[in-house]
Parts: sequence; structure tokens; C-alpha cells
Amino acid sequence: MAQAKNPAGGKDNFTRNLVIAVVVGVVLIMLVPTVLSKKTNTSAAIPSSVSVEDGYGMVFNKDVKDVPFIEIYEDFQCPACQRFEAISGEYIADLINTKQAKVAFHMLSFLGGESQLAANAAGCSADQGKFLQFHKLLYANQPPENSGAWTPSYFTTLSLGLGISDKKYDQCIAKNEYKDWVVNVANEGAKRNINSTPTVFINGKEIDRNKAYNSLAEFMLAVKNG
Amino acid sequence: MKEKFVIAQPWIGLFARLILGGVLFVAGYLKVSAPDKSQMAVRAYEMLPISFANVLGLVLPFAEVAMGALLILGSLTRVVAALGGFTMVIFIIAISQAWARGLNIDCGCFGGGGAVEPGQTKYLQEILRDAGLAFLAAYLIRYPVTKFSVDKKPIENTSQKDVA
Repeated sequence: MAQAKNPAGGKDNFTRNLVIAVVVGVVLIMLVPTVLSKKTNTSAAIPSSVSVEDGYGMVFNKDVKDVPFIEIYEDFQCPACQRFEAISGEYIADLINTKQAKVAFHMLSFLGGESQLAANAAGCSADQGKFLQFHKLLYANQPPENSGAWTPSYFTTLSLGLGISDKKYDQCIAKNEYKDWVVNVANEGAKRNINSTPTVFINGKEIDRNKAYNSLAEFMLAVKNG
Repeated sequence: MKEKFVIAQPWIGLFARLILGGVLFVAGYLKVSAPDKSQMAVRAYEMLPISFANVLGLVLPFAEVAMGALLILGSLTRVVAALGGFTMVIFIIAISQAWARGLNIDCGCFGGGGAVEPGQTKYLQEILRDAGLAFLAAYLIRYPVTKFSVDKKPIENTSQKDVA
């Protein structure tokens, strides 16, 4: 590179330096907002039944003692999560309703924009006391990844089927009210080293990846053995 | 033969620049809009402390876009090729250690990444591809003068003197 500085070397360096400045500048302009948007915002609005100390998870039976603690990290757009919900979802809902387990749902959004919207909508549904129903219904209607099907109006229409018709709910979805909460959930998942979805812990221990995700019997056994 | 190479060398350099730069640019571009996934892909290698991996996962796609754009335009070719080659060597090391340790991950090179089913890994293809790209980078470090680049063309260039 030393010779390149030689003024006798033909074209001057102006064009090259300009190109470097533009490229690096543009990339930095893109990078900075990404870094900022990924920062945990401790003053973020959070939906009801979210527990900050449980990694911003949506927690059921928070104060029930002496029951297994089930933590689920999932993404509404992930097909394996849909499978897990279809196999074990009803059982988990039963455990919640009969107070036989403390359950934390962590709705991650690593699959992109529509996961983010879905997680926000799930937060809005929690305010209506319908998180579990929404969770189930949304998986039952899972489109291919980022196909454009999941829009704010899609969620509001879908929720009519759950008996939610509340202006506040529609606004919560339209305004993406829990956007920062969704980021916080994602950051907590990243800190906990969640590298695939679904990831399920029972009393802090991950269940057997080869068995317990695909079989209700195995999952029930895992819960029982805590 | 040598004279032929003198003529072909800047054209081969252009080809190397466009391939290496193009791959870096596309790979980075596909990841910049999915930072969570990119962080997951880096964590899945289980090489770095989690917080380091998360920072790297956030920054690496942007670095790839910058290196790719500079190589395509042929700006600071030798330096950027060295950086790109260094990146490829790191990728090869990371993939090799994942393979050796029996992890089941996707390299996450073009988005995606994270854990995959056993038997779905493509470690050999990934390593061969990165080795090819590292070779192109090495070529550009050795012969940084290429066609259609914004780098100033020196009258006397060591690489050209060598082959003359």
C-alpha cells in the first residue's frame, strides 16, 4: 500500500477514500439503530401477568408453591413449536388451570417481523385474560414463515373468535404497544443461551431433546419427575 | 505463460473480488434484519462466552456487508481481502470445532443457524466453500491490482514486478 500513496501513481486516492467513507458511514448508520433497538428497556410497558424476575416471561400460578416450574421458550412462527403445542399444549393448560404447575411462556421473535407482531398481540391478549386461548388459536392458524399473513388486523379479527372485542385491545395491537417488552424477552432468551425453539425447562433443567418434545407421555413423565 | 498471466492477473483479480465480495455482501445482507437469529447462530457454536457471542452476532452481519461492498468496488482491496480472508479462516475453525465436538448446528452463514437435527449438518460443504473463499482472498492479497477498481493503480507495483 505504501506505493499507492505515491503522487506519481496515476489516479489520486480521493475516489477510493470517498468510497470507504460512504460504505463505512452507511453501515454505521444501519448498525447504530439496530444496536439501540436491541437494548433492554427496563421501563418498557409490560402486559399483565408478565414477571420481570422470570425473564419477562408470561407467568401463570406465580405464587403456587411446591409444584414443578415449567419454562417454555418458543416462537409463534416456528413449526416445531406448533408441533409441541399440538402434542403437549392441552396438558400444560390443564396443569395451569388445576394449579399443578407454575408455567412461564417466553415468546421469542427471532424468526422476524411477524413473530414480533404475534408476540406483541399475545401480550395484548394477556391483558384481556385470554393469553392461553390466544396462544392455542394462533398456533392452530400458523401460516408459513413471514408470508405476510400475520398483520395487526389479522390478530384483531382472529381474536373476535375468542370473544375479545375491546377498543383497547385493537389499539394495543395497532400501536405495537409491547414492542419493547418483546425485545426484552428476546434479550433474556439470548442471555439464557436459547439456541433453538421450542426449548423447555422443568425446574431449571432442559427436557430431553430426543424424547420429551415429541411425545406427550414422555413430557408428562418429565413433569412428574420434575 | 508468464506473459499471459500478466494480462490475465487483473481479470482474475476482478473475478476474485466479485465472488468474495459478493458472497460476503449477500451473507451479511441476509442477516442484518434478523439480529436475534444471528446472535443465536453465533451462540450455537459454543465457542465464546454468551455475552461476547451476542455482541458478535449483532455486529458481524454489518461487518460482512461493509467488507463485501468495499471488495465489489475494489476499494482498499488488499486490506479488505486480508480482513475477509481472516474472517473465512475463523469461520473454518469455528465450523471444524463444531464438527469435531459433534454439535448439530447449521453454520448460519446466510441467515438461519442454530441447532439442526442430527444428520442435517453440512460441515464439509461449508468448510470447502469457506476454504475456496479464503483462497480468493489470498490471491487478492498477493495480487491486489485488479480491473475496474477504485484503488489507485501504482506505476510500480511489487506484485507486478514479481511476475514480469
